[in-house]
Parts: sequence; C-alpha cells; structure tokens
Amino acid sequence: MEKKQQVVVIGGGPAGLAAAGQLQSFGLDVVLIEKQAQVGGHLNKWYKVFPDFTPAEEIVAHLKSQLGNTRVLTNTTVTAISGEAPDFSITTSSGEQIPAAAILIATGYKHFDARLKEEYGYGIYDNCITSVELDAMLKENKIRTLQGKIPKKIALAHCVGSRDEKVNNNYCSRVCCTNAVKLAIEIKEQLPESEIYCLYMDIRVFGRTYEELYRTSQEEFGIQFIRGRLSEASEKPDGSLVLRFEDTLTARPMRLSVDLLILMVGMEANTELAEIARLPLGCDRFYATLHGQYANNHSHREGIFLAGTATGPKAIMESITDGRSAAAAILSFLMQKAKGMEVKVPTLV
Amino acid sequence: MGKLIEELKQDIQYQHGMNACLNCGICTAVCPAAEVYDYSPREVMNICHQEDEEALIELLKSDKIWYCGQCFSCTPRCPRGNSAARVILALRRLSIRYGYFAESEKGRQQLFAKRVFGENLLKRGLTLLATNITPQNFPELGEFWEYYFEHMKEMREWWGVPMDLENSPGSHRIIPEKDMEELRAIYKATGALELMEAIEKGMEKKLGSKEEVEKYWQTWLETGDSRNYQLKKEKEEDK
Repeated sequence: MEKKQQVVVIGGGPAGLAAAGQLQSFGLDVVLIEKQAQVGGHLNKWYKVFPDFTPAEEIVAHLKSQLGNTRVLTNTTVTAISGEAPDFSITTSSGEQIPAAAILIATGYKHFDARLKEEYGYGIYDNCITSVELDAMLKENKIRTLQGKIPKKIALAHCVGSRDEKVNNNYCSRVCCTNAVKLAIEIKEQLPESEIYCLYMDIRVFGRTYEELYRTSQEEFGIQFIRGRLSEASEKPDGSLVLRFEDTLTARPMRLSVDLLILMVGMEANTELAEIARLPLGCDRFYATLHGQYANNHSHREGIFLAGTATGPKAIMESITDGRSAAAAILSFLMQKAKGMEVKVPTLV
Repeated sequence: MGKLIEELKQDIQYQHGMNACLNCGICTAVCPAAEVYDYSPREVMNICHQEDEEALIELLKSDKIWYCGQCFSCTPRCPRGNSAARVILALRRLSIRYGYFAESEKGRQQLFAKRVFGENLLKRGLTLLATNITPQNFPELGEFWEYYFEHMKEMREWWGVPMDLENSPGSHRIIPEKDMEELRAIYKATGALELMEAIEKGMEKKLGSKEEVEKYWQTWLETGDSRNYQLKKEKEEDK
C-alpha cells in the first residue's frame, strides 16, 4: 500500500477492540469510537466469563493492550457518515470530521427489557432480578434478597426475551444457557447452602467445553435442571416468589417457592446507526450481512463492515474472533482498492 | 395422512391455534383445568402434532378435550403463538361430528350443553335462563336462591328487570322474532345446528335408543349427576 489508510471502528466492546488491535497490527491507522466513558462494552459489567471463568477484566485488559497506536475516542458517537468507499467521512458528536477508507460497525447489543414479560414481575416484585444484576452481586460477593437476607432457594429462568413470539424475539440469544450454568455454579460457590434450579426449555450449550461445564454443574454443584419454561411468578408477603411452570418430563404442573428469581435476559439488536449508515436489518432486527454463510462481516454497503453482536447474539470469544475476522476482511478490501482492483466481495443481494 | 387429521387441519380454529409446539409447558403451568384435572393442554397439542389418526381418535373419545374451560389463559402466554383453547374447539367439533364424544363421561355431558344452552339460544336467544338453575340441581346456592327461584317474577318486577317481556332490560327479556330468525340463520350457516343434531344422534347410538337418552337426561334432571345413569356395559360388569 502506498499511503497509510485509516479505518474507523465504531464500538469498543470485545469485537471492536479485537478488530482495532488487529487492524493496527496490519499497519493501518485506526480510530476507535466508543459511546461510553471507557472501552470494554458489556465486559465492564461482567464478573467472569464462561466456560473457563476468565475474569472479564482480564479480557478487557488484554484487548486494550493490543490497541497499539489506535486513536481511541470515548464519550463519542457518530452523527453522520458521508461519501462512499474508500472515501468516507465520519462526523462525530464532538463535531470532528474523520476520513475513513473503511468502516467497521461493532455496536453490539442491548439487553431485553425484562419488564415486557409482565408475568415474571420484573420491576414489580422485589426479588425478581436479571442476570445482569446478579453479575453485579457476584462481583461484590454479596448475593442478597432486597430484604437483605441470604437467599436459600434461587431459580434461574432461561429464555427471557428469547425464542418468544410474544415479545417479537423468535431467535435464540445463544449465550444465556451457558451463562445460566456458569452463574449457577458461581452462586453455589458463594452460597454453598443454596438450592439452585434452572428452568429451561432446551439446554443449548454449544461451544467447546460448554457441555463439560453443564455436566460439572450437575455432578459437582448439584444444580437442578427442570425442563419447563417459567409461566408466571407471584409474590408472597415475605417477598419470596412462587413460580408456576410445568415439569414437562414428568408432565406435572408445579409450584416452586424461591427467595430469588433470576431472569436470563436475552440480547436485542442495537442498531442506532442503521439510518446513519443506511444499512438494512434482518428479520431479527440485527444488521443484515451480505451473506449468511460466506460474507458475515460484509454489510450491504461496500466498505462498511460488521462484527460482533451487531449481527446477532454471540459469546465473548466469538465476538473477539469475529472482530479479527472483520479486520482481515477490511485489510483484503483495502489492499484490492489500493491496487485498483475490483473488490471481490459477494454481490448477491 | 388420515381423514380426521385432514379434516382437523381444515378447521380455521385449528389453523389459527396450532403452530409448531415447543413443548415448553407454559400453557399447562398456567392452565386452571390442569391444576384440578388429569389434563394438560400441552399433551393435547402434542397428540395433535403427531398427526397420527389412531392417537387422534383416542383423544376425541377421551375426557381430555372436555376439561378445558375456554378461559384462554394459554393463548397470550405461548411463545409460539399457539392457542390450545382454540385447538380444543376444533377437536370438540370433530369429536361431536363423528360421535366420539359419546364415548367419554365428560363428552356425554354435551347433551346438557345442547339441551340447555343450545336450545335456550334457539328458543330465546339467551344462553342461560334463571329458571334453569333449579334449587334441586344446585343446592349449593342455598336458601336465598331458593327464595329467589320461587319469587322470581315478582322480584324482577321490583328491580325493573321484568321476566319475559319483549325488549325489556335485563337478562330474561324476550328477543323479537325477527332477530331470532337472524340468530337461527347464523346457527344454521355456521354448522352449529348440525352439531346439535349430531349430539342427539351420537347419544342415541351410544345409549342404544332415544328412550335411553331420555332416561339419561332424566337422571341428570333428577339427581344433578349424569354418572348416576349406568351405561349398558357398566351394568353388565356389575352383574
């Protein structure tokens, strides 16, 4: 390449960080734009990451250490994207114009708003919390009910906001099953006296060693897995909750009293840039990729690439890999542009 | 695919109520009938899902499809947009059409539904009349109801909801004949009349004769419990 080309990465979560690190290692100028005050994305909230309980901090620290000369802009959003590849111009919330030969959108996801599943009582009952809030408790080694008591019986409800036509999310959020298994083990480690129930429909632990984690949770930690989706919760005067579900394996409607109910909230698309970047969405409302099999980092616009959970639910490890994969796709694109070659990307739309 | 399965799939209630089931159990967990009876909407959905003719016939002959109280609690909860309550309606129609309803105790109670609600509707345009609730059959309603039952006409005059007066306020009015004709036309066009006839015929076939059907009916009127009528087979077993 004759001159250094600049790539703008939007979103500083695991995918964006990994992509930026990789892009700068190729010798490209990289600008990383992050909305929050710090890079790291959702990782900044997490305690440990499945399947090997790597501290989330460690992952962020590692990804940050790879950023090299990347120019990081925090507390910054993108307000406009003009021009076409390889001559984009990005306007930021601070009014700066940043030229870009290619753009990577790695803007991640939002958590499902558990209040929409009214029958579970999130925001209504004291002791119904989300998996996000549980992680904060685990981080402080302080799992308590709102009344300040140590919970004895705890249930984790899978598929909250996922695989559910009623909230317009037909897709599986993929990570919640394994996350629930991981959380159950962590609770048991912090509160060895507790009884923990996972209410699941299908256990989808798909990754390498995930099944082992699942088995360990049963064999070594005695986590109870009940095959039945949570139907509804109601609150007792003492703040504990009565859960109604069917144990579908014995075909019995059941009631279970718990001190704490944890809702495994799924992922929803964060497509704040859809209009600014003029990108189409899939039927799941995540960004559409150019091809589901062989062009997963390509958007429908030349020179704009996608990575991480912007294109659908992913685990941390997958987002990192996806970010690096996008970096390779961007490098390939820029090299071909520099040589004046026609860029060979799949052109079926 | 079997003939009955085909017919079931033609029913619009079935089409609207049945998408692929996840077997998650949300419907059974929330079902009030499942709490008190040996009944599970998920099981019903599952049997339909198999598309097995024999299993379907067995279901149509069983008590299972009659436990549902049509509260539709299952419907707003199903993550796949199914409605067991709607599927039940389609199954009940099929069961009546082919006479399978008469094979189960709960199914045979369709005779009361037909003779009370069905005929009330055709004659009066009202589902239930206060005069149907006899203290004899509903002793649990107690002495207040007994008093009301005896002084109904007079009391309803006091309240301004007189009995059997054309277009009067209240739930015991006479509906004008012109409206009744329209109502009966709807019942005919939708096939409800046919189903009512099928109930009488199905009962006759099961019990052996019209006289037996009347005996069955009388048993209920007199004792308030149709189980006091002994089926032939049961009688033979007793011997």
